[in-house]
Amino acid sequence: MKAIFIAFDQAYTERIVEMLERSNCRGFTQWEQVLGRGTKTGEPHYGSHAWPSLASSIITFVEDSRVDTVLEKLHEMDVATPKLGLRAFVWDVEKTI
Amino acid sequence: MSLYSGAVKRPVMTTLCFVAVLIIGLFSLAKLPIDLFPDIDTNTIMVMTTYEGASAEDIEQNVTRPLENTLNSVEHLKHITSDSKENISIITLEFEYGYDIDVLTNYTRDKLDMIKSYLPDDAENPIIFKFSTDMIPIMLLSVQAEESMPGLYKILDENVANPLARVDGVGSVSITGAPKREIHVYVDPIKLEAYNLSIETISSLIGAENRNIPGGNFDIGSDTYALRVEGEFSDAKQMENIVVSAKNGSIVYLKDVATIDDSLEERAQQAYNNGHKGAMIIVQKQSGANSVEISNKVMEQIPELQKRLPSDVKLGIIVDTSDNIRNTIASLTETVLYALLFVVIVVFGFLGRWRATIIIAITIPISLIASFIYLYATGETLNIISLSALSISIGMVVDDAIVVLENVTTHIERGSAPKQAAVHGTNEVAISVIASTLTLIAVFFPLTLVTGMTGVLFKQLGWMVCIMMIISTVCALTLTPMLCSQMLKLNPTKGKFQQFFFKYIESGLDKIDDGYAKLLNTVVTHKRKSIVICTLIFIGSCFLMKFIGSEFIPTSDNGRIGATLELPIGTRTEIAQDIAKKIHDEWRSKYPEIKVLNYTVGQASSDNTFASMQDNGSHIISMNINLVSVTERDRGIIEITNMMRDDLAHYPELVKTQVNVGGSRGNGMSGQSTLDYEIYGYDFTETDSVAQQVKRILQNTKGIADITISRSDYQPEYQVDFDREKLALYGLNLSTAATYLRNRINGSTASYYREDGEEYDIKVMYAPEHRTSISDIENILVYNAKGEGIRIRDLGKVVERSNPPTIERKDRQRIITVQGVVNGELAMSEIIADVQPKLDALDIPLGIDIELSGSFEDQQDSFSDLGLLAILIIILVYIVMAAQFESYAYPGIIMTSIPFAFTGIVLILWMTGTNLNIMSMIGAIMLIGIVVKNGIVLIDYIQLNRERGMSIRSAVVLGGKSRLRPIVMTALTTILGMVPMAISNGEGAEMWRPMGIAVIGGLTFSTLVTLLFVPAMYCVFAGVGVRRQRRNFGKKLNA
Repeated sequence: MKAIFIAFDQAYTERIVEMLERSNCRGFTQWEQVLGRGTKTGEPHYGSHAWPSLASSIITFVEDSRVDTVLEKLHEMDVATPKLGLRAFVWDVEKTI
Repeated sequence: MSLYSGAVKRPVMTTLCFVAVLIIGLFSLAKLPIDLFPDIDTNTIMVMTTYEGASAEDIEQNVTRPLENTLNSVEHLKHITSDSKENISIITLEFEYGYDIDVLTNYTRDKLDMIKSYLPDDAENPIIFKFSTDMIPIMLLSVQAEESMPGLYKILDENVANPLARVDGVGSVSITGAPKREIHVYVDPIKLEAYNLSIETISSLIGAENRNIPGGNFDIGSDTYALRVEGEFSDAKQMENIVVSAKNGSIVYLKDVATIDDSLEERAQQAYNNGHKGAMIIVQKQSGANSVEISNKVMEQIPELQKRLPSDVKLGIIVDTSDNIRNTIASLTETVLYALLFVVIVVFGFLGRWRATIIIAITIPISLIASFIYLYATGETLNIISLSALSISIGMVVDDAIVVLENVTTHIERGSAPKQAAVHGTNEVAISVIASTLTLIAVFFPLTLVTGMTGVLFKQLGWMVCIMMIISTVCALTLTPMLCSQMLKLNPTKGKFQQFFFKYIESGLDKIDDGYAKLLNTVVTHKRKSIVICTLIFIGSCFLMKFIGSEFIPTSDNGRIGATLELPIGTRTEIAQDIAKKIHDEWRSKYPEIKVLNYTVGQASSDNTFASMQDNGSHIISMNINLVSVTERDRGIIEITNMMRDDLAHYPELVKTQVNVGGSRGNGMSGQSTLDYEIYGYDFTETDSVAQQVKRILQNTKGIADITISRSDYQPEYQVDFDREKLALYGLNLSTAATYLRNRINGSTASYYREDGEEYDIKVMYAPEHRTSISDIENILVYNAKGEGIRIRDLGKVVERSNPPTIERKDRQRIITVQGVVNGELAMSEIIADVQPKLDALDIPLGIDIELSGSFEDQQDSFSDLGLLAILIIILVYIVMAAQFESYAYPGIIMTSIPFAFTGIVLILWMTGTNLNIMSMIGAIMLIGIVVKNGIVLIDYIQLNRERGMSIRSAVVLGGKSRLRPIVMTALTTILGMVPMAISNGEGAEMWRPMGIAVIGGLTFSTLVTLLFVPAMYCVFAGVGVRRQRRNFGKKLNA
C-alpha cells in the first residue's frame, strides 16, 4: 500500500475524483479548501484579495501496482492545463488496521 | 451551497425562475397605463367665504385676515395667498409636496371650526375646495354647425355631452359657445305705463297661465275619471294671447305691450373653430383617472356620436392632451431601444464572441422587465421618468455580468472546466460585484428621500434604478454563471467573418492598451506636474460656469399654444369678436403650422364649470392653438410664440396679452418658465406705481415677454344711489327698488317653457332698445304698495363709478405680481442678472419689498434640494467604498475624479449652449456613482498588483493597462446608452436631452481623467504610505 497526496486547484476536483474511480481506487480523503503555493512556479492559492483562487487536496491509499497509472494520469492532466497547478506525492504505508 | 453553485448545479430551476420573472414583468407591462409624469398629488386647498354686500376692503379686514392668521398655523404650509373681492374671499393654501392632502384638509377644517364664530354674522360658513391638476381639461372638441346653430346646445347636450359623461373616468363635460334656448318677453315700457302695468304683473300672470293643475277624481256611473286643467303652453306663440288687463270692457293682450322672442340667451360665450362659428366641448377627467385611457375611449365614441348628429354638425379635435403623452412615450421608448442596441454592439465589439454577448445582453431585458413589476405593484405609470430610468440603467445593468463573465473566462482559459470555472470565477468576484452595486444604490436610494416637487419626480427614478441594479446583480450571480457553464467553451472556433473583423479590432485595442501604458508611465513619472495641470483644468472650468445659464425645467414642445388677449374692460363682445377674427386670419395665413385655431369670446354662463374657472368677460378673447407634430415642422414652438407676441404688439386695442407655450403658463411641468416679481406693500397707489416701474424695466429687458400686472384695473360701472328719505316718503325700501331695476334690465324669470322633457326660461324684461342709455334707467317706474309709480330719477341718482380691484395677498401681506415669461432667447439666470441691478436702482418707498418668485423659486428650491442630496450621496458612497477597501485614503483618491465629472458637464453644456436645469442636475448626480465605479475597478486592481508584490509604479502601469478595456467598455455602454437620449428630436425630447448631454460630457471627461489623474494621485499617496511604513520600521529597529 502506498499513500498518494494530491494538491491541486479546486477546478480539478471532479476530474480527479472521476479518475480515481476509473482506476479502481475507491477510498480517498479530501480537504475541500486548502491554501498553499508551489515550490518553483505555481500561482499562490490563498483565497485572498490578491490571490483569490483556492486549492483542494486528496489523500488516497492504493495498491502499489496502481501508483504509476494514477501518477501518469495526474501528470497528463497537469500537462494539459499547467496554469491551474497540480502536484502529487507518494510515500509508504507502514501499518494499517 | 452558495447561491451561484446552486444556480450552476440546477440550470432548469434558475432558467425557470427568470422566465417566471419575465412573464410577470410582461404581464405588468401590458397592464401599465401611460402618462407624462408620475402622479403628482395635489398640494393646494382653497377656502372660499362669501359675505354678501361687503366691499373688497371689508372682506380683506373682516374675513380674509382673521382666516389667514388662523390658517397660517396649519402644518407643512408653504404659502398662503388670498383674493379679497366684492362679496367673496378666496384663500389658497399651498402645501409642501409629498404630504397627504386629506390629512391636511382635516387640519384646515379644524382650524376653520375654531375661527368660524369670530367671522361677521352675515358671512357664510367657509367652504373648503381641493384644487387638483385633474381640473385641467384633457380634451377639447370642436363643433362646427350651420343651420343647426340655434338648437346646437340641445343637440350637443343630448347627443354628445351626455353619452361622453357616461364614459368611465370622465368627470364633467361642458359645452361652450352654444347658447341655450330662452324665451324672451320684450316689453315696451311706454305701453306698459299707458296701460298701468308693470313687469312684475306680467311676469306673475305668465306664471299663473302656464300651469297644469290636477282637479282631483270624480265618478260617472261605474267609472272614476281624473279631472285636469292643462294650461301649459305648447308653443311660445300662445303667450301672445294672454290677457294682461281687462279694464273698462277693453281687453289688453300680451302682444299689445310686448313681443315674444323665442331665441337664445342674450349673453353667452361664442366659440369659433378655424374661423367658423360653432361650439367647444370640454372634457375633464375624474380625479385619479388616466388621461390616455379616457381619451382612447372618447376617441372610440366620436365616430358613433357623429352618426347621431344632423349632417351639418361636425365634431373635431382641438386639443387631445393624451396625443402628446402617447407621442412622447413612443419617442422615449424608441431611444430606450436604440440604447439597448448600442450597448449590445459595444459588448460584442469588445468581447468578440457572440455567446458571451448573449449571456451579457440577456441581463438587460430581465432587469428592465422586472422593474415593470414594481411599477404595476405600486400603481405607478409608464412615464418620462420611469422610461428615463430604463434608459439610464441599460448601460449599467450589464456591468456586473461583464465582470463575472470576464473572470469565468479567465478561469476557463487557465484550463478549468466551464462548470467549475463558473462557480469559482463567480465566487472570486462576488464581493466586489455586490460592493459596486452598493455604491450605485448609495447614489440612487437617496433620490427616493428627496422632498418637494423634485422628490415627486425622482422618487420613481430612484426606486426603479435601485431595483434594476439589485436584479442585475442577482442575475450576474446566478443566471450569468449558469449560462457561462452551459454556453462557454474553451478556445471557441471563430467564423471567417469574425476572424476577419476582429483581427482589426483586436489589434486596434492592443495598440490603444500599449499607448495608454506609455502615457500612464509618463504621467506617473511627472505626477506632481500632472496633478497641477488637472487641478488647473478643474479651476478653469469653474470660471466657465459663469457662461452657463440656468433654468428650472426645459420647455417642451407639445404643439399647444394658448393665448389670452384682453381689450379694455367693458369692451363689447362684438368688438372683441372683430379683433379675434382679424388675428385669426393673420395667423392662419402666416403660420401654416397651425392645425386648429379655436377662440372664444364673451361672458361665460355660470353653469359652465370649465369656463367659469378661467378669466372670462366680454372683453377677453381666449385662443387655443394646436400645431402639427414637432417632427412635421421646421419652426419650434418657442420661435412661433415669439413671432406671435410680435404680431400682437401691432394691435393697440389689446391692453394685456399672454401667449403661452404648452397651453398654460408656469405650471411647473409644461409651459415656459415665468419670472414673478412680487411687490409687497399695503398702499394701493404706491404699490401700483412700483409695479408700473418694474413692468417698464422688464419691458426693456431682452429675453422676457408678455409682462402682466396681476392687479386688474378699476372696473367702470353705473351705480344707483337711492335717497333713503325719498324711498321712505313713497313707502318703498331699497331692496324693492333694486329688484325693480334688476327685473327690467336683467329680466325676471316668469316661468319655464316645457318641450320634449326640457325646460327653458321664460324671461320678461325691457326690449333691448329700451335699455341703452342712462335716461332709460332713470325713467324706470317703481310701484309702491298704493300702486303709485315713481321714477328712479325721483328716488336717487345714477352715477358712474369705478369698482376697486381684487385685493391680493400672499403670506399675509398685500401683494402685486409683475409676471413675465422667459421667451427662450436668454436663460432665466441671465435675465435675472440683467434685471436685478436696475431694480436695486429704483427708488422704492419705505415699507415696500420686491421679491422674486415663480419658476425661479422652484428652481432655487430644487437646486438646493439636489445640492444637499449630492452631499449625502458623496458621504454614502465614501462609506461604502471605505468599507470595501478597509481604508480611509483610497476612497478619497477615487473620489478625486468626481470634480472632473463636473468639469466635463460644464464643458459640454457650454459647447452645446445648453442651460443647467433640473434634468442636467440629475444627470450630474448619477455621474457620482458611475464615475466612482470606474475608479474602484482601477484602484482595486492596482492594489491587487501591489499585494502580489509589485512596486508602486509597475502596479499602477500594469494595472492600468489591464483594466483599460473593462473601464472603457463600461463607460462606453453608459455613454452610448445615453446618446439616443441626447440626440433625439421627437416630441418631448427637450425634457431628457439635457440629462443625456450632461452624462455624456461628464462621463467622457471624467473617464479620461480617472485613467490618468487617479493613478497619479495613487502614486503620491501610496508613496507617502510606504515612506511612513519604512520610518516606523526603522524606529522599531532602532528601539
